[in-house]
Amino acid sequence: MSEKAGTRLEKVLSAGHFAVTAEVGPPRGPNAGAVIEKAQILNGVADAFNVTDNQTAVVRMSSIAASKILLDQQLEPVMQMVCRDRNRIAIQSDLLGASALGIRNVLCLSGDHQKASAGGKLKGHPGARNVYDIDSIQLIRVVRGLRDQAVQEGGDSITEPAPFFIGAAWTPLAPPVAFRTFRLAKKVAAGADFIQTQAVYDLKAFGQAMAKAVDMGLTDKTAILAGIIVPRSAGMLSYMNRSVPGVVVPEALIRRMKTAEDPAREGIRITLELIAGVQEIAGVKGVHLQAIETEHLLPEIIKSAGLLPRPLIV
Amino acid sequence: MHATIQKPIEEIIRHIQPEEKVFVVGCNNCAWKCHSGGEEETKAMARRLIERDIAVVGYTVPGPQGMSLCKLDHTRKVLQKDYADQTAQADSFLVLGCGQGVHTVIDATDGGMVHPGCDTIFGGETISESDIQEFCSLCGECVIEYTGGLCPMTLCSKQLLNGPCGGAENGYCEVDKERPCGWVLIYERLKKLGRLDLLEPYQKPKNHARWSRPRTLKVSPHEATFCSQAGKVTVNNQI
Repeated sequence: MSEKAGTRLEKVLSAGHFAVTAEVGPPRGPNAGAVIEKAQILNGVADAFNVTDNQTAVVRMSSIAASKILLDQQLEPVMQMVCRDRNRIAIQSDLLGASALGIRNVLCLSGDHQKASAGGKLKGHPGARNVYDIDSIQLIRVVRGLRDQAVQEGGDSITEPAPFFIGAAWTPLAPPVAFRTFRLAKKVAAGADFIQTQAVYDLKAFGQAMAKAVDMGLTDKTAILAGIIVPRSAGMLSYMNRSVPGVVVPEALIRRMKTAEDPAREGIRITLELIAGVQEIAGVKGVHLQAIETEHLLPEIIKSAGLLPRPLIV
Repeated sequence: MHATIQKPIEEIIRHIQPEEKVFVVGCNNCAWKCHSGGEEETKAMARRLIERDIAVVGYTVPGPQGMSLCKLDHTRKVLQKDYADQTAQADSFLVLGCGQGVHTVIDATDGGMVHPGCDTIFGGETISESDIQEFCSLCGECVIEYTGGLCPMTLCSKQLLNGPCGGAENGYCEVDKERPCGWVLIYERLKKLGRLDLLEPYQKPKNHARWSRPRTLKVSPHEATFCSQAGKVTVNNQI
């Protein structure tokens, strides 16, 4: 496979290492220091760092700006880009801008609907006009066009190719489950170089979905990173099982957290078991770790999982 | 049909000036079905306005049931001939119909002052006398050949064209837990029809210029010409 964008994440994957990515949510304010602080905690513990794009439809520092701040801290960003807020003109303009700033990994997403507003905890902007001019699969094609043909969606050329390592999401356990692998195939055909999945708690169900992906030959064409969200409490797991689409949490896991003396510790133990579990599943090329508002736990978790130090890439 | 719902009466009268003489016009098709501007509602509106000290000089719902207010020649005849005496006294026309009907009244009265009495909310299917549902967004570029006739532009909250986002939960949309995910409906329908293959090809971005407004349609018995910012499209209906 010839090099797409030459990112660290791409090199780690193509060298056959088990990749680690982690998530960095930009602050709900203009403070670069908040991003720098997270960057300093996480420096060196993962190959690349996802920067969310106004996740749950809550206004935050832009993913482009926060990605650039990470770059300045020598962390490699995976800039998330959603289709909710921009039409194809703004999307491509932002991609060119991001490329100019040195951002090379992009994760293409439809994006949480504007009604999400942090699951109702915040007011958000439910009356905002949504855009969805293009969908996530069309966005993958757009990015691939900018990279491989130096051409815009409308057909006009750009001055030179914009190299991106293109990512997409996969929610294998959301309904209609039988269609999910086929939709993954559409993303891969559109040009997804890597995939980050929705949070995995049910290793058996995820393993079955992965087996289908392997059967369809998808794991030869794209690198699938299993998503893992560090559980903090039984309540959080119940909430995700109930309310986060495509997240299936086995009852036994919730019970385990409920009866744990130290739920935070138990959450770390569960995370380590999940990391070990997905490593055993054929076709899984890495993990995407999210410790929501508890990013400080990640260095210890990644170290305990035996995934440190991260491979040296030149 | 164009679904409409009456504006609250307080909002309607707020825009009527003191001493303003109002003629109320309903629609005997869509607004009649929506109970927003049929015979009964139009008559009731005249009464409700009078009860609130508004000067009502007359009211009508042009034509028999099934006749649309937006049929200009008919509405013009009714307002300018059949109701000539009353409409001559009117300072304005309160229209109980859709936005097309409001504009028809402007044309039918040679530029008369109008008040919209309804909000025009969507184009819908009359499921029953009491249930109207939206299945088409009038986007100008029909994509339902590959979805078994179910429109993702309308039934999917994100107007996705290449399948469902990860947000469906138990078959329901993440945006509205009481509404089925449009893509789950599409998937289940195609599965039943044995045509899941239709979902495989990549669907390219839509040409939203065909959704530009305002648009026009010129028709003859032989051909039709649709004009939007995407340009003119003429089709022959016979050959």
